[in-house]
Amino acid sequence: MKISYNWLQKYFSQPLPSPEKLEELFIFHACEIEGVESAKNSDGEIIDTVLDLKVLPDRAHYALCHKGIAGEVFSMIGIPYKSKESSNIVVATDEKPTIKIDAASFCRRYVGRYVEISDSGQSSAEMIAQLNAIGQRSIGPIVDATNYVMFDIGQPLHAFDADKVKGKIVVRAAKLGEKIELLDSSEGVGRNIDLAEGDYVIADDEGPIAIAGVKGGKRAAITAETKHLILESANFDPTIVRKTSTKYDLRSESSKRYENEITPELAMEGMKELTELISEAIPDAKFGPIVDVYPIKAVQTVIEMDPGYISERLGVDIPSETSEKILESMGVLVTDVKQMWQLTIPFNRFDLTISDDIVEEVGRINGYDKVIGILPPKVDGVVKVLPAYYLSEKIKNILVSRGFSEVSLYTLVAKGEVETAKPLARDKAFARMNLNDGMLSCVERNVLNADLIGLPSIKIFEIGHVFSNTGESIHLSIGAAQVKKVKGVNGKKLIMEVIEIIGKEIGVDVAALNSMLTIVEKGQLAVCELDLGELLKVYKLPANASYTDLDFGPTSANIYKKISPYPFIVRDIAVFVPEAVTAEQVWAEIESAMKTLTIGAADTKAGEGNALQLLVRHSLFDTFKKDGKTSYAYRMVFQSMERTLTDDEVAKIMLSINSVLKGKGWEVR
Amino acid sequence: MTFSSITAKVMSMESQEKGRLHPITQVIRAIYPVFAELGFEIADGPELEDEFHNFDALNVPKDHPARDMQDTFWIKDKAERMVLRTHTSSVQIRYMENNKPPIRIVVPGKVFRNEATDSTHEAQFHQLEALYVDKNVTLAHLKGVLETMFKRIFGDDVVIRFRPSFFPFVEPGVEVDMRWKGKWLEMGGAGLVHPNVFKAAGIDPRVYQGFAFGFGLDRVAMLKFGIDDIRSLYNGDLRLINQF
Repeated sequence: MKISYNWLQKYFSQPLPSPEKLEELFIFHACEIEGVESAKNSDGEIIDTVLDLKVLPDRAHYALCHKGIAGEVFSMIGIPYKSKESSNIVVATDEKPTIKIDAASFCRRYVGRYVEISDSGQSSAEMIAQLNAIGQRSIGPIVDATNYVMFDIGQPLHAFDADKVKGKIVVRAAKLGEKIELLDSSEGVGRNIDLAEGDYVIADDEGPIAIAGVKGGKRAAITAETKHLILESANFDPTIVRKTSTKYDLRSESSKRYENEITPELAMEGMKELTELISEAIPDAKFGPIVDVYPIKAVQTVIEMDPGYISERLGVDIPSETSEKILESMGVLVTDVKQMWQLTIPFNRFDLTISDDIVEEVGRINGYDKVIGILPPKVDGVVKVLPAYYLSEKIKNILVSRGFSEVSLYTLVAKGEVETAKPLARDKAFARMNLNDGMLSCVERNVLNADLIGLPSIKIFEIGHVFSNTGESIHLSIGAAQVKKVKGVNGKKLIMEVIEIIGKEIGVDVAALNSMLTIVEKGQLAVCELDLGELLKVYKLPANASYTDLDFGPTSANIYKKISPYPFIVRDIAVFVPEAVTAEQVWAEIESAMKTLTIGAADTKAGEGNALQLLVRHSLFDTFKKDGKTSYAYRMVFQSMERTLTDDEVAKIMLSINSVLKGKGWEVR
Repeated sequence: MTFSSITAKVMSMESQEKGRLHPITQVIRAIYPVFAELGFEIADGPELEDEFHNFDALNVPKDHPARDMQDTFWIKDKAERMVLRTHTSSVQIRYMENNKPPIRIVVPGKVFRNEATDSTHEAQFHQLEALYVDKNVTLAHLKGVLETMFKRIFGDDVVIRFRPSFFPFVEPGVEVDMRWKGKWLEMGGAGLVHPNVFKAAGIDPRVYQGFAFGFGLDRVAMLKFGIDDIRSLYNGDLRLINQF
């Protein structure tokens, strides 16, 4: 909701605090501010400040207008309101519309008035500037006036050309097969709507002239030539307005206000303000009497509460006089009845229905910074353990201790039995039926990076929910692949080994555990899956089980280092050296060879660097002794953060290492 | 120090014998002990949830925009209207239906939002929900627990503040901000349990009050570990997981 600072000032007899101060007040006492901008005139001079308030949804009943926001300012800082001049509009013609409500549950009130104008008049420069400031174009005095009232007090309004309205105005449900041609859109194209069941219209004797609360029709629309008007200030059902405006993609500032529900009490105020503004813009306008159809008068909510409840809930000692003052600033009538309060709530405050709502009003205006945190009383005894959680955390610990890392993969996938109605993408339409499918491709992707991560084998697990026609369950999936060749070891063997360890450590028969597994092998990769719900049936929770039995370990203190998006290159080098030479000495020579080789600035953000900076990982992967000599074999992984390395570049680095090692008299193989 | 000079210090391929827990699990494990000391149990619930537990019982009005297609993953062709839960708050109801006060629970779990993804938004993410129900519960208790929790994760110099906000299932409702490293960060929503929620779950709001809060574990993990893209938490890449 855009609020013009100048517009807001009109409500007060003393200067408002600065926009910056207002912003701070709103953030801590009302709502967030999405932005503060300057409004300029056509000469580029700053003439106003606009605050874009993120009015909370439960406050949209009263706060989507300058008056509502002025009320908030009044509650927050109490600067005095400016008194309003009394109206001097006279009824100058007997002409009046005939209004009938045929759908009382939809239309709670309809206020109409006939106006005669001789010339088209002009909106005041001040009004135009304020409308412009909040992003509204000036269209003409009548439309400007209806817009101004809506942004001023929150009541949407409409004007019909009285000469085009045939007979009486009726608010009713749309009839089957009825159509309406809408008011020209901003592109200048009228739109035809085939009305459907559930839509409500404003109609005359010939048919619909507006979709009620949503959009006016073309047939009775005002034009520059219009001389006789019927003004409408009405109140419509929020849900129906929302459904219809959403269905036809016709959501507007008007429909938004109806959708959020406004009080029918506002309709008369809206008509009166509209009349005054039209009379200011067009001084010779002749107004007829106000016609007010208001079948069921709105009632004010009354809340009975103990004033002490406010401090009890906030945990802050607030004198009841302070609370009373805050509530009265909002227009709440506070009556003392035998130590209890009877609070009569203003019509427009649909958000205030129970004593807890009152706690919030006092709490936020008084300031949540007054709430000083305290811990709730401790409870005796051991915290009860959730068996499913205890078991899964225990299994996580076992797997991690055996080199398996935990992943969390996507629930929404391309295949399954449980389908979402409106998927984000076609390959994400279903809730997953198993974990194995995701695990298999996860292992495959990681195998490609094994050298980079420095892992001889890829070992992964996931615990997650799966979904089928028969329901939802929690599964464990384990995936493995042996990357560095070891005789007799493959993915399946790695899995079966760890399953056996899990069985032993949780005290479940390994054969029984194996019978629960679904194993899938692909080459030497393997994944398995089991239902933790099934496992829980045979698992015996230790007596006096407590989460403190499980080592929740230290949290990693590491900070994420960006992963290079570029491919890496692996090279091995083996060196024969005299027995007295250590591996550390050999590696020191390799490093020094790389340090003396400069590389381009493109590879190091800090400027020029050396080849060592391209080495992301190395390991001594083989050592053997023969004939008084030792062979050390190193694996080296090269990668740039900035670009794709070429084989030629790495060959140059290896060549330079070769020559340094040979220079030492060592044999490079 | 560059990435390469740090990792170059890793001398052996066999150096990483232990696997690593997912950052979200690490965050849950860092947080939970604070709650355990205060007597909070861990509770869980289904990710595929019915409309009653996800919306109705939480005082979300029938025609609330949050129930719209664009925010919620509704499930096709089910006799009962089902959703992938949009928050862990549904577990509050499930727990209160089966347990009498006093209640102290935390609920870590996966939740879903039907929104376009980018580096800070994901269609799936994790929340941690807390619910405390007893006699004489105040907003000061809520603040005390939040302060203790965030200090445990982010250090003793963090400051917590409340701002007015709105969530249908709490009244008053507040937004929780944390000042960390000189910046104010939005951490999550909180408030005192709305009496309608108690009624829906069969607890007498004239006798009991409560507080509840929920926040994104992904956001905590991203701040704590300096992870810059939420999506990288869900692609199963050990190049990330094994850094922690």
